Amino acid sequence: MAAPSAVRRRPSRVGRLLPHALAAALVVGCAVAPVRTSREAPGALRIRDVADAGDPQRRASTRLVLDALAAADAQYAISQCERAIRTDPTNPYAYLALAAVQVQWGDAQRGVETLAQAEQLFAPEELASPRVAAHFDGLRGRALLRGGSAAAGEALLTRAARAAPVVWSDGWLSSEELR
Amino acid sequence: MKRFAGRSFRVPSRVFSAPTILYPGLDYELVDLRGILDRLGYREAVETRDLQPGRFVWKPGRVRIHLRAFAHPSRPEPERDVVLRLAGRTIDAILELPRGREVGAVLLEPEPIGAYYGPNREQRDLVTLDDVPDHLVDAVLAVEDQRFQTHPGIDLKRIAGAMIANLRAGSIREGGSTLTQQLVKNFFLTPERTIKRKLQEAVMALLVELRYDKDAILTAYLNEIYFGQRGSTAIHGVGEATHVYFGKPVRELSPAESALLAAIIQSPNGLSPYRDPERALKRRNLVLKLMYSQGRIDSQDLEIARNAPLQLAAVTPDLGDARYFLDLLRRHLSESYDSDVLTSEGLRIYSTLDRRLQRVAAASLQDGIEQLEKRYPRLARKDPTEALQGCLIALRPQTGELLALVGGRSYAVSQFDRCTQARRPTGSVFKPFVYIAALEVQNGQPFVTLADFLDDSPLEISTPQGMWRPENYDHKWNGRVSVRTALERSLNVSTARLANDLGIRRVADVARRLGVTSPLPLVPSLALGSADVSPLDMARAYATIASGGIRPDTQTIEDLVNVRGDTLERRRLRFERVLDPGSAFLITSMLEGVAKRGTASRVYQTGIRGPIAAKTGTSDRERDLWFVGFTPELVAVVWLGFDEPQSLGIPSSVGALPIWRRFVKEVTGGQIRGEFRRPSDVEIVEIDPETGARALAGCPRRKKEYFLAGTAPDRLCPAGSELRREGDRRREVERGFFEWLRRQL
Repeated sequence: MAAPSAVRRRPSRVGRLLPHALAAALVVGCAVAPVRTSREAPGALRIRDVADAGDPQRRASTRLVLDALAAADAQYAISQCERAIRTDPTNPYAYLALAAVQVQWGDAQRGVETLAQAEQLFAPEELASPRVAAHFDGLRGRALLRGGSAAAGEALLTRAARAAPVVWSDGWLSSEELR
Repeated sequence: MKRFAGRSFRVPSRVFSAPTILYPGLDYELVDLRGILDRLGYREAVETRDLQPGRFVWKPGRVRIHLRAFAHPSRPEPERDVVLRLAGRTIDAILELPRGREVGAVLLEPEPIGAYYGPNREQRDLVTLDDVPDHLVDAVLAVEDQRFQTHPGIDLKRIAGAMIANLRAGSIREGGSTLTQQLVKNFFLTPERTIKRKLQEAVMALLVELRYDKDAILTAYLNEIYFGQRGSTAIHGVGEATHVYFGKPVRELSPAESALLAAIIQSPNGLSPYRDPERALKRRNLVLKLMYSQGRIDSQDLEIARNAPLQLAAVTPDLGDARYFLDLLRRHLSESYDSDVLTSEGLRIYSTLDRRLQRVAAASLQDGIEQLEKRYPRLARKDPTEALQGCLIALRPQTGELLALVGGRSYAVSQFDRCTQARRPTGSVFKPFVYIAALEVQNGQPFVTLADFLDDSPLEISTPQGMWRPENYDHKWNGRVSVRTALERSLNVSTARLANDLGIRRVADVARRLGVTSPLPLVPSLALGSADVSPLDMARAYATIASGGIRPDTQTIEDLVNVRGDTLERRRLRFERVLDPGSAFLITSMLEGVAKRGTASRVYQTGIRGPIAAKTGTSDRERDLWFVGFTPELVAVVWLGFDEPQSLGIPSSVGALPIWRRFVKEVTGGQIRGEFRRPSDVEIVEIDPETGARALAGCPRRKKEYFLAGTAPDRLCPAGSELRREGDRRREVERGFFEWLRRQL
């Protein structure tokens, strides 16, 4: 059997230089790009920003979420979120909105359970972004505060406020802010 | 006497399906929009001008529907006039008239799927006089009691006329009863035709008229009057009759339809428009003529109504298949409500059942079993009570909502629900619990990873009953096999050895956490599915895997409201994490392998595309065939077997799999949506499939594999070790350069 190395070709000169050229370009790019401060960080996720994302089923579901968040009545908002979930059971925004409504209207424990389902459905990179993570931190923080864990709750709320100061600096996420 | 006030009518509780949501992008043919409109009693019209609620106009490229208002408990839906713009098979846009505003989604009212009757099986939908159109009252009075508003309970003129007719005939042919008398007879007396009974009836009618006003008596009559049989249920009252004969609410009746209802009161079964349409039409026109002659309609209305064809609702197909679901619901409700409440209080139960999925499930199971009997005549039995049985249950994994349930081949033959009431040995569908127990982290590390290998050589385990020697399905040994291969090929020996090494208690614990409630004996054979488990339990456990380790509560009810519309119960979604998302993903990935390459690979044979995770299960001596599979949005379990366990002589992939495949293909249209999302705590690492070692660029064979973060193998494939040393040196130089650059910036 021939050794694998016997058939392996030596890379061309361009092939050898290309990675170095790309690395240099990256370094220069990083050096000249403005450094983003926390003040300039993008705001927290708003559901309306993703209203047109996804396939028709997702879009229909997200529209129901927007409708739910526009409601003044908690019962209606929860029902509408549940309807959104039934329309697209894999829509993470529907669970996030449901959790927000639950926490907002005092059902913190259930809100945390719903958040776990939302977490499950977000893409990992999306979940890692401060825009989304702020809501998870904030809502969990609020739930902890309600549950009597003041220190842990405050810590999460502080983190949320740092990631999304416009929304979370008051320690509260209104339906309109999420909408 | 209270009954006249409408309070003590026995009104069965009605069960409704989940509502249908229409939205842009929906495949309207897949959801059978026309069928839904038909079942809901929507009538096709030709003209869009003045389109009334409950009517639609279907033209090429667009459908205009005037949606009825309905009082769903979570939100009363208003009446809406909408246009669905169609493109091919899908809804392109939904525009709400009159402004043409584009809307994201509209709801069709839930479809009735059944009711809980009292001992007399009376079906009734109470109405008030305000609900009833004037022409219906006019039609009933014209033919049954034209002097109702003026007589005191008995109509002497009519009695005299009846007496003359009876004397001429030599027997009692006509009763001359008023509405009040008919009502008294129905409520309190026997149907016999004797002078004594007629006198009692007359006296009681006079008393009723003294105590109650005409409106109360008329309302009671309209709710009580018998309108014939539908199957074994008796239809009472104009509300229910309108639903049955015309598939719509009473307020939407046309004069011609009102006349038809009034026409059949005399002999509901003999004059049934389904049985003898010509006779019914003739009698309807007689009623219309009476209405005209009594000045209740003018000549123009008479002409229009007389020319109207009989437009009857399609006879609803027998919902026998949904009756297993109704029974389950009843069992759930009986924990909180008396049977008498359910059969008499007129509750409205909004269920989670998806009417379309239910229909497809019933057809898939029925046809699948029949085909097996044709292909394997030894499976056929002459006595239907001994026939090969099966069941199919489908859940939405994220929410636990029960979408379809078919508990057997025929509810008429056997009401025993094999999905929720039976417990049968599960065979290999239990195996994933063994692998979950092995893959999840306990005391800081998993027992195995997907880079590991298992021993599939002869095994003996000592038990109190003697030595247990598991064998593979093909009675062969496979030596060293990867963890994935062991599940994909459903190898018994390697799985039993793994469970034995883990400890069977740990396996049982996983099954419990995932949702199995059936008793699980802690014996070595548990790993291979020797325990009797219900298909519902299995569906719940796999739903937990499908939803990433979050166990949902099984839901059958969304809302429950009383006859006044007050919500008595609202079931909310509940989620509980019982398994870490990484382990749930790993087992899902393994089950995807079973569907792609393993014992369930036939699932892709008829052109289904998209992600499927599945497991076959065949119990000892092929007495139970199981197939459990899930997509990102649906989990379904099929079980086949005889009620008295007998060998079927075929594996699950031949018996149960095709039924599951047809079901999923039909409900998804063959294109499964979504993906099984990899959670952040699972990393992808290349390994050498021969050794299970980590593979770097120089390794001759490389395969991507999933690992819980930090659990991928450290050791490298032999060719990779050298490369790694070289790579480490290069990375060190790069790190130094970037560190220097960072300090400069």
